[in-house]
Amino acid sequence: MVTKRHQQANILGMAGQWHCIIPTMPDSESAITPVSIDPQRLRLTNDDASTGTLIGFKCNECEASVFGPAIFCQQCTSTDLKAVDLGNKGILFSFTIVRIPPAGWPGEIPYVLGQVELPSGPQVLAEVINCEHKDLKIGMGVELVLKSVPAENGGPDKAVYKWRPV
Amino acid sequence: MTMNKIKSGREVMVVGVGLHPFGRFPDKDLGQLAIEAVLPALEDAAVKWKDIAVAYFGHVYYQGMSVGETSLSKLGLTGVPIVNVENACSSGSTAFWQAYWGITTGLYDMALAFGAEKVPRGPVTVTAEDAPERYIGGDHMMAGYALRGKRYMEETGAPATALAQVTVKARQNAAMNPFAHRKDTYTIEEVLNSRMIADPLTLFQCCPTSEGSAAAVLCAREDLAKYGINESRAVSVAAAVLTSGDYNGRGADHSAFSPYRTEPAAIQAYEMSGISPEDVDLVQVHDAATIGELQQVEALHLLPFGEAWKGTMEGRTALTGDIPVNTDGGLLAMGHPFGASGIRMIHETVTQLRGEAGPRQVANARIGVAQCSGAGDVTTVHILKRG
Repeated sequence: MVTKRHQQANILGMAGQWHCIIPTMPDSESAITPVSIDPQRLRLTNDDASTGTLIGFKCNECEASVFGPAIFCQQCTSTDLKAVDLGNKGILFSFTIVRIPPAGWPGEIPYVLGQVELPSGPQVLAEVINCEHKDLKIGMGVELVLKSVPAENGGPDKAVYKWRPV
Repeated sequence: MTMNKIKSGREVMVVGVGLHPFGRFPDKDLGQLAIEAVLPALEDAAVKWKDIAVAYFGHVYYQGMSVGETSLSKLGLTGVPIVNVENACSSGSTAFWQAYWGITTGLYDMALAFGAEKVPRGPVTVTAEDAPERYIGGDHMMAGYALRGKRYMEETGAPATALAQVTVKARQNAAMNPFAHRKDTYTIEEVLNSRMIADPLTLFQCCPTSEGSAAAVLCAREDLAKYGINESRAVSVAAAVLTSGDYNGRGADHSAFSPYRTEPAAIQAYEMSGISPEDVDLVQVHDAATIGELQQVEALHLLPFGEAWKGTMEGRTALTGDIPVNTDGGLLAMGHPFGASGIRMIHETVTQLRGEAGPRQVANARIGVAQCSGAGDVTTVHILKRG
């Protein structure tokens, strides 16, 4: 994974011979590690933001699961909820190849948008990568993969969750 | 979903409708567009502005504060309540819903519901700048419809040609409608060969973003004589229902893209009116994309689930079919100025039920349904009845 620190080193022509004189990262630079695109939906599980799990809540009364933040259960309105990991695997419920992207889309064009059903029920929209368009099929298994994307308005990169075929 | 049994009060009639053509009007601001639908609606109802007791204005894109007030002030300052309504693509139909409830409860004798919009060009997004959805790639209205289309085709066996036929039909209806943004007709092949937006939806299967306005005047039936309104052209509002999303087993992550949120609203509307789906003579539905029309017609129980595509191919949803859909061209051909579209559907329904739709007239139209959807899983269902 190419971090911003590496990119800066390359820009300055320091990637090779100068490597030896930038031995440690100052504390202030730790802020440039990518941050979760949405800390209420994606919890990073390692230091370089390359792995993570989707998170949400499960209702102790009706057992419905919600992707993302919840104070009340979306199904029965109970407040008896527990925070849960929703995991990093799912099934492709539907997909589309987007050729005209929305404003602000920072990725490649076209891109594949997948609607993925998690084992606990909720559905999660995200880009599907590492796939041949012709091989995409409704019902296929997919897993979560994190990619670092520069922030629209500056600041640290965002660790964005995407799907890829299992 | 918890639903109250709806208890309406006084019978409410639509007594006047007005429409500004949909398209692009760079020389008119939002208030000017609005007023150019309100004036014909007042004229159609043959009532005076000072008789309007309350007004609701549907619009979405920010064009300054209190645009409803500033536009109506051109008609005179009468001091009545004016409410600006934002409910995404259902803003106009929500304004109409509020007008209905203001009258049926006895608060007001007569109300104005109007809507106007100048939608920017390009794909429509619903989130703010730098929102997570921008990076995730899911904030794309037509991609949401495309996901529904792909799933629908997989589940029902509908071919791409069936989706395209929805546009072919819409354009045929719009060709007879001087108010439509897009009036050219196309073949199925031309629809399928237009630029791909998000597989399986091509450009001609997505509604244009547009500018335009629409207005309706509503009055309690028992007050018609008091205001000298001609009862013979008034159309009764038999049901007015507004809902938002329910959990549906999935939660709210992609809630704008769930297909069948209309069904609970439709069931409420049929119960409220005592009208059943078999009684419906024509319907306007939210066809922002071709797949939308198919799924809404099914959710309204007008064609069986999974079979609206067959009904479309067989001509059942055409003007001459047994359940004509989007008789004025729908969003696909009329275009979609968000705040106006819901009231545009009321305009077309009233025009048809009065028998004044000219070459688009559905024979013996007595009962019409208007269904409008919006982001946030907003759904409105209105049922209108002649006489």
